[in-house]
Amino acid sequence: MKKLTGRAISVLLILALVLFGTGIYTVRLFEKGNDWALYFSRLNSGSSGVLHDRNGVLLAEFSRSGSFYAEDELTRKACFHILGDYEGRTGSGLISTFTEDIKDYSIFTGTTHSQDYEFTLTLDSYLNRVAYESIGEDREGCVLVCNYKTGEVLCMVSLPSTDPLYYDPDPPSGTYINKCLGAAFVPGSVFKLITSAAAIETVSNIWDRKFFCEGEGEIAGVKIACVDPHWTTDFRTALSNSCNYAFAQIAVTVGQDNMKKYVNQYGFTQRHELNGITTAAGNFETGYMGDPELAWAGIGQWTDLICPFALLRYVCAVANHGTLVEPYIIEGTEAKTEQLMKQSTADTLHEMMRFNVTDHYTDERFPGLHLAGKSGTAEVGDGTNNSWFTGFLDDEDHPYAFVVLIEKGGYGLADAGAVANSVMQAAVRSN
Amino acid sequence: MDALSFWDYMLILSKYALVIFSFIVIERSLRSMLSEKYDNEIWAYIRSGKERIPVYHWENLLGRSASADIRIYAPGISGVHAVLSRNDKGQWKVYDVFSRGGVWINETQAGYGGAPVHNGDTINLAGTRLGFIELEEEKIGRLEKKRSVAGSRVFPAVTLIWLTLFQGALLMQHLMSCEAEYAGRISLAFTAVIVLEWFCYTAMRMINKSGFELETLAFFMTSLGISVAASSTPEDMYKHAILVIASVFLFIILGWWLRNLRRASSMRIPFAMLALALLGLNLFAGNSIFGAKNWLTIAGYSFQPSEFVKVFYVYVGAATLDRLYVKQNLYEFVAFSAICVTALALMGDFGSALVFFICFLIISFMRSGSIATVVLAVSAAVIAGLMAVSARPYVAARFATWGHAWDDIFDKGYQQVRTMSAAAAGGLFGKGAGNGWLQSIVAANTDMVFGVVSEEQGLLIAMSSILAICAIAVFAVRSARHCRSAFYSIASCAAVTIMLSQVALNVFGSMDLLPFTGVTFPFMSRGGSSLISCWMLLAYIKGSDNRREASFVVRPAEKYSRWEDPRLQENNSGNKAGKAGKAEVKKS
Repeated sequence: MKKLTGRAISVLLILALVLFGTGIYTVRLFEKGNDWALYFSRLNSGSSGVLHDRNGVLLAEFSRSGSFYAEDELTRKACFHILGDYEGRTGSGLISTFTEDIKDYSIFTGTTHSQDYEFTLTLDSYLNRVAYESIGEDREGCVLVCNYKTGEVLCMVSLPSTDPLYYDPDPPSGTYINKCLGAAFVPGSVFKLITSAAAIETVSNIWDRKFFCEGEGEIAGVKIACVDPHWTTDFRTALSNSCNYAFAQIAVTVGQDNMKKYVNQYGFTQRHELNGITTAAGNFETGYMGDPELAWAGIGQWTDLICPFALLRYVCAVANHGTLVEPYIIEGTEAKTEQLMKQSTADTLHEMMRFNVTDHYTDERFPGLHLAGKSGTAEVGDGTNNSWFTGFLDDEDHPYAFVVLIEKGGYGLADAGAVANSVMQAAVRSN
Repeated sequence: MDALSFWDYMLILSKYALVIFSFIVIERSLRSMLSEKYDNEIWAYIRSGKERIPVYHWENLLGRSASADIRIYAPGISGVHAVLSRNDKGQWKVYDVFSRGGVWINETQAGYGGAPVHNGDTINLAGTRLGFIELEEEKIGRLEKKRSVAGSRVFPAVTLIWLTLFQGALLMQHLMSCEAEYAGRISLAFTAVIVLEWFCYTAMRMINKSGFELETLAFFMTSLGISVAASSTPEDMYKHAILVIASVFLFIILGWWLRNLRRASSMRIPFAMLALALLGLNLFAGNSIFGAKNWLTIAGYSFQPSEFVKVFYVYVGAATLDRLYVKQNLYEFVAFSAICVTALALMGDFGSALVFFICFLIISFMRSGSIATVVLAVSAAVIAGLMAVSARPYVAARFATWGHAWDDIFDKGYQQVRTMSAAAAGGLFGKGAGNGWLQSIVAANTDMVFGVVSEEQGLLIAMSSILAICAIAVFAVRSARHCRSAFYSIASCAAVTIMLSQVALNVFGSMDLLPFTGVTFPFMSRGGSSLISCWMLLAYIKGSDNRREASFVVRPAEKYSRWEDPRLQENNSGNKAGKAGKAEVKKS
């Protein structure tokens, strides 16, 4: 028996392994408990939350009995990016962003209990559906609509999207990025709006200048091409015709210091926040540029990148006489205002953008909307285009600004412009 | 922040109270099991010259080696020479265990099958003459009275009161958080456990048994299991309460069965057959839930045969000392183990296969003392494991995920990361019973139960549950040296090994320190098969508790020879022993 019982000590070896493992677990818990706990617990805190759109449509609801999304599939897909999901697949999204604020962790107490909440979004899920369908699932891009007088974001859609109810293990790339907020793109001609503002402020004889374009021109020996020859244009018609050569010369005249100054001042290179969701910063060359580079940068190429949300802020400010009402998406958010640009500059640009439509795009494309806008078709560098259309309604009852981006093909006015029209028609009809 | 209501204060207070109660329960149980004196029983004496050597066990090794129970230094005596053993009826026998010099009882040679020895007989080991003094019942009784009684310093009733307070506080937390329709069922389940534990305690006291630490710790973990069930499946509380009662009932039945050593050890072969039949049935008629085909449905009731096979496996693995020196017995056991582990691996239940394998290592090491056997077994298992990994891609996938659960939180790391997150969210004191979220995840109340307890009751109580198993393990090892028979020592160590392995695989698997294999946590995980098997395994440990008047599985020493006329008994068993002896010789 003594022999046998001596061997029983081997059980203690297993016991030692159990204690050793428990020790390792405890150390890891102290090290990483914060990350572990907050990752899922913020969504599973025992509190409950409800998110409605501005018309009372249920978008998301979670409580101890479960978590739910909107009832119909189209709404779930169209609102996927702004809401995010309960599992945290999207980095941003209101579901996870909110709950982040209301959770706290310490090893002693674990996560502390949060409060129940109910939020109404300024979003109109109907507009999201319209925007989603007018881009269509075979294309990629995003749509943003905002009330420039109040700052309410009415529409925010990003494609490709997914149905959060059904997990797709192999989604198309970009599915989990909210392109409205979380990414920056080559702007192309919509960037001329910024170059224009800089010119209005810094080039005193800008209205007297005449530009001559034969379909292409040279800046310091480097060719700048236009789609068509624009012949003789002035500042106003250069914008409405979107003459690259003219804007290349304007950018060079404005100079790189001024260009950099205004791009920064208008908020294109900074990150912004939309109810706690941090947006992507854009890019504008910070190093020295020669005239050809500056010329390309001035027409939205070179290393330029802008986030659709930053462009939305900019057109909101233009529409609202230079005063930006900072966009928000949760009802009841205190709207901050900021003088983004001089009122005179904004009003001048406003008038020029309206002129773009009356002179070039024509009101027939946007029946009844009284729209001011600017299109853009940017070369991405991989042979594809980003087509943009941005602008606003010059309409006291429907003060809406918008940004439409369609990636990988299409042309600014024909494609993005058509989406903008459908969404704005729907916005005017329903509000 | 809103002002805290009365119930908020009660919740906070109860969280701290639960930790204090659980620490007291564990501390008192540990102190009672480990600090109280553990005296040997004395069954007989061996006279060697002028020296009188006490015989402490029913099975004693005689020989020259340092590990012999009765150490005899004399020329011609082998290191391991003979086994002196006693049966339930007080009859003694001497077995020659392959000694060089041979064994004689009063000039008659005792073979491998053993020869009876009586008071006053001379045991001749290779020429060295030893006297055998059998103790009369009265004398045994007098010696027994000198031993310390279990539970004399740490009163088990007081520990049980603390446990009851713990359960009460837990129930209160549930009543504060549960839905009204379930309040009745949850209260009933908790009440059932409290009544059951006090009933068991009273019954034990009535038969003069005072060792109740093992049951207390088991009831402690069972209560946590009920709490987990109340959070995850409150609609099933009646069923759970019935399962707890059934488990404790089977614990008592198995304990009672183990009281008689000969009865117990004679059933090893039938139980081995039963185990193989269960595994076979499972393999061919089982259904698969969550990947492993380890479920069997009979008449609408689903259960996991592998859980019951654990109980049989320990039973088959245990052996009396005389059998340990017959190599053939070990080979048979190795073959039996290989079949069990292979069958489990074929079912895809790699967690259980691993638990069996660790248990096999401990049993075979205890039986043979051979490190070489262990090394050989481990190498064989590693090879088999590698083959399994290459044959079953999902096993390989689990290994690939191991340590990288956070890289794949929606698929392969799904359960681990959620367990970790919820466990961390609980902090030291937890969110309170019923306030967690992990319980809503699939298999949370079985494979991830440690996470659920960590979240709802906090790290400290989750640790207490590990500590409770460790306390049982330390006690089993301590008891192993005082057992009457090797059968009880081995069974108890094997049972506790299964519990420890399950703790390790369950906790470290769900926390991504080991591959996630889906093994249950003893007593806590929901599921009838697991609960029943754990309580039955506890009966083995109870069988090793040889403190005076401690365990109902161990018969009081002084009552043995009262039963029957020794003369009549001698004839019967003499014949039987003779037959068995012959068979044994043939085999070896």
